[in-house]
Amino acid sequence: MSRGASQGREDSGAIVDAVRDLIYRGCLLLDQNDFQGWLDLCAPEFHYTISAYSPEIRREVVWLDHDHEGMASLIRMLPKHNSDLTPLTRHASVYTVENDPAAKEARAVTSVAIFSTSLDGGATELFAVGRYHDVLALDGPAPRLKRRGVRLETRSLGIGKHWPL
Amino acid sequence: MTRGAVEWDRRPSLPMTHYVHPAIYTDEGIFGAEQEKIWSKVWYLACHESEVSEANDFRAYRHPGGKNLLVARGEDGKIRTFYNVCPHRGNTIVYTPAGNARHITCIFHAWAFNTKGDCVEITREKQGYGDRLNKKDYGLREVRTEVGFGGFVYVNLDDNAGPLAEFIGHALDGMLKCLETESLEIFTYHQAVVNTNYKFWHDTNSEFYHDYMHYHNRQTSMLQPSYWEREYVPFPNGHAQVGDQVVKYEAYEGFKGRHLSFPGLERNGWKMVDLFPGFTYNLRGSALRIDTVLPLGPAKTIIEYRGLGLRRDTPDERAQRIRDYDSIWGPFGRNLHEDLMGVMGQGRAIGRGQTYILHAREEENKIHDEIGMRHFYGEWSRRMGRLASDPFGETGGTSRA
Repeated sequence: MSRGASQGREDSGAIVDAVRDLIYRGCLLLDQNDFQGWLDLCAPEFHYTISAYSPEIRREVVWLDHDHEGMASLIRMLPKHNSDLTPLTRHASVYTVENDPAAKEARAVTSVAIFSTSLDGGATELFAVGRYHDVLALDGPAPRLKRRGVRLETRSLGIGKHWPL
Repeated sequence: MTRGAVEWDRRPSLPMTHYVHPAIYTDEGIFGAEQEKIWSKVWYLACHESEVSEANDFRAYRHPGGKNLLVARGEDGKIRTFYNVCPHRGNTIVYTPAGNARHITCIFHAWAFNTKGDCVEITREKQGYGDRLNKKDYGLREVRTEVGFGGFVYVNLDDNAGPLAEFIGHALDGMLKCLETESLEIFTYHQAVVNTNYKFWHDTNSEFYHDYMHYHNRQTSMLQPSYWEREYVPFPNGHAQVGDQVVKYEAYEGFKGRHLSFPGLERNGWKMVDLFPGFTYNLRGSALRIDTVLPLGPAKTIIEYRGLGLRRDTPDERAQRIRDYDSIWGPFGRNLHEDLMGVMGQGRAIGRGQTYILHAREEENKIHDEIGMRHFYGEWSRRMGRLASDPFGETGGTSRA
């Protein structure tokens, strides 16, 4: 084995580790309601969507669609609103990470189950299951989220939520 | 001054039209009577015609009158509704909420039906039935269906009900140009399942005093002078229209004025009509939201939300309408979550010693007047044969009427 090939694999492995680390750190920040901290992990060109497929109307449905500034506004305005404060906890598993050196980006698919735990009594219920479809920029010292598509399987979301998932 | 049990349970010193008894939101017997006397008698908004846009498209759903129904567009283009029940052994014939099939075949014994409701196949018919039974006599049970008022599919379980136009009357006249100049098309749908009574949701849609709950509405509507000129107009059969307003969306950080509209709707305009007993046409700027309640019990309700634009929308226009809709009305929107928190809280509180519910604001029918709810409960009382404020006849006619 050439030293170059070995080095390439080590670099790729390091990138995969860094991508996973970013996704998991993002989950921890979201779990702590540190939405600005989570947005700080994102590139200026960040784009965020929450979508699903509706078998009832046989169409794709998009329920949230914002760029970086839109998400920043959404987060800034949260204290002005009446929001359900039931905490959410994410259980995530990064399934795949595909590195694209030419584009200086990586794509990752993460399975996520989101639980809510009631403030009164602490009962935990499943809120939603789905996947994060992420595109990450690799042109800096650390990966940053360029796109996150939250693809939900769960469509019955009770009273909904004001927070990013 | 706080109140003890006696004062808490005492009837308000108000006209009986201006408050309701809490049991109308919790009592199983009243819920059953509502199914029989209201839901099985009124026209119910089942879906939009764009959900069954092609021949042989179907849409299955639960009706609050207790039936599972199937809306289908026949090959003749006509939209019909049937019980979603096989006439053979009573099995459900369609299990998916929507689809397309020239023949709908029951999985149980493979009896098949076309989208006009005719039975077209009985497996081994002659061997089993000889001449004693003929498939032409075993079509699906059809339910009265009319399409109108923006292309919405309304059904009525009562074969003897009057026509849809008679039920709606003139309630939607102020919105008809917006609804019927061009064809509409659904672009989003979701359900909220909430542990609350369906009437709490319709109450919320029928009064705007709760705008204090919505930061978005306080900024974009309440601070605009025209807000206070909005006036409720009650219509026969329990419907009510809320006066129009122009909304200043840009008053909310990060929002822009809505450059898309509907035919006949002023830019950033807002029109709203509540239909008895649980449907709302809510047209704001670039998107139409339709609410439909589906009561599952006195303390459990599915609320369906549909978003619609114009069928001729370009992809960019459609995407903008969807963003506009979601910003306040999607499951992650700013307003809908707050409204749902409100009715969830009412559902949580109502079973724990709630007192009478007040509908007593009078402001010359203007936006914070509670005439919308009073009008609804007038119709509710008429249909139920009991007063919403005295559903068990406790006063013996001694309270203020």
